[in-house]
Amino acid sequence: MTLLKEIPLQLSSTESWVEKGGVQWLSLDRMSVRLLATAMNAMHARFITITAYQLPKDEGFRLEYHWDFDGQLLGFPFDLPDKSIDSIFDICEAADWIEREIHEEYSLEFTGREYEPLLLRQGDETGVNLRDGVAANNAVAANKEKL
Amino acid sequence: MSYKIPMGPYHPALEEPYKLDMICEGETVIDAKLHIGFNFRGIEHLAETRNYVQVIALMERVCGICSNIHTLALCSAMEKLTGQLPPPRAQYIRTIMAELERLHSHVLWAGIAAKLMGFKTMFMTCFEIREKVMDVLAAISGNRVNYAMNRVGGVNRDITDPDSILKMVEKLEGEMARTVIPIFTTSRTARSRCAGVGVLTNEKAVSLGVVGPVARASGVPQDLRKASPYAAYAEMSFDVPVQPAGDVTARLLVRALEIMESCKILKQALSKLPPGELCCGDGKFDFTKLIATTATARVEAPRGEVMYSVSWKEGSRNPARVHVRTPTFAVMPAIRWMVKGARLADTPLIQASIDPCYSCTDR
Repeated sequence: MTLLKEIPLQLSSTESWVEKGGVQWLSLDRMSVRLLATAMNAMHARFITITAYQLPKDEGFRLEYHWDFDGQLLGFPFDLPDKSIDSIFDICEAADWIEREIHEEYSLEFTGREYEPLLLRQGDETGVNLRDGVAANNAVAANKEKL
Repeated sequence: MSYKIPMGPYHPALEEPYKLDMICEGETVIDAKLHIGFNFRGIEHLAETRNYVQVIALMERVCGICSNIHTLALCSAMEKLTGQLPPPRAQYIRTIMAELERLHSHVLWAGIAAKLMGFKTMFMTCFEIREKVMDVLAAISGNRVNYAMNRVGGVNRDITDPDSILKMVEKLEGEMARTVIPIFTTSRTARSRCAGVGVLTNEKAVSLGVVGPVARASGVPQDLRKASPYAAYAEMSFDVPVQPAGDVTARLLVRALEIMESCKILKQALSKLPPGELCCGDGKFDFTKLIATTATARVEAPRGEVMYSVSWKEGSRNPARVHVRTPTFAVMPAIRWMVKGARLADTPLIQASIDPCYSCTDR
């Protein structure tokens, strides 16, 4: 736990860890995502995944980054009002595929990287998991109407 | 001069569709690119349109081989939302089902690996044993796949005669100890085909965050059943096999040894099965009284860590979000590093050595 306590200090955060649903959560400013990835690497924490949430109405998106540290699940939520966040792929190569997947599913931008398509997209259209307003989903709906 | 050889999306060496574009010089693979998405079904999106009963049946269909582990992770996450704790008997039954599923998955994989090695007799032997594992699963759940055992707060079915299941498991263990294990651990055919092939170094395994038997075969001693026990694993005595070499042989050995460890866990769980209820409370998921709106659960599937993040709006019958991180999604990027420098003819075996599940990966 000592190492964990140092993380908010390293990231200049005044927040502290909150245990909820078996996860240790720490809220951080989204500008610190790359610092977070560097700190997790230094701790030899294992990157697990990023979970993307499309918030209701026009509230934007939330990303939750997860690492495993000695069997303890750590979570870091970041709100994305403008659909973009710095990529951590160059610091943490385990994040490559999940950043690509989220980009294809929710059209979110991970700045500072290029995307090799994972083929979840329809042609050049990304955003297949968005609730509505996506060209891909509209095309599917149009096809259904034709049938 | 280099040239590109595509493998897939439809290829005799692949169980399911994905694409591996290999850049070769002569017979040597210089680099490779992977493409997934050919099985993409939008299940996570679909989950948001299903209620708290339907979503369990839906997520059971993410994978045809480790279907039980998906509902175990989902139900565990949903239990955290409502604060339900399954009774001890249910925890033991969950452990038994999870280990039977691991046996089923590992023996199935062993058969496919044997076929790719050109070891057809071994393929037949493995599939015969797999049938017997499925008989045990059917004896408990009534189903050979998609067992529908897990529910929020416990399990749907009891093991009414653990002694007869124990006898079946002991018989299976004997058969595997006589056939699969010696062949995979000592056979010259297996060794000559697999030793030094498709190496994933320990450093690369850590850097890529690979999980499960692939990580353990690269010397990463990581297993959620030990590191963060769930169900009844804290009460079980077992070892986590780890091999340092990182090649196909190491992956074979790890899975072969895990088969024996699974039998050890099964025998303990079946002989110590505690009496009691199968489900806590009235067995209902009360979506009007949530103690949290987001919960996460992790379990050790046959291929490695599965993680479910579930978000639920209080009062809603449907989840707001279900995110699944499957083990193959974490392991597949490692194929690129395993095939670099390999002979082209070895690439089908190398990609199979991670025991990939594209159905899980694409979701």
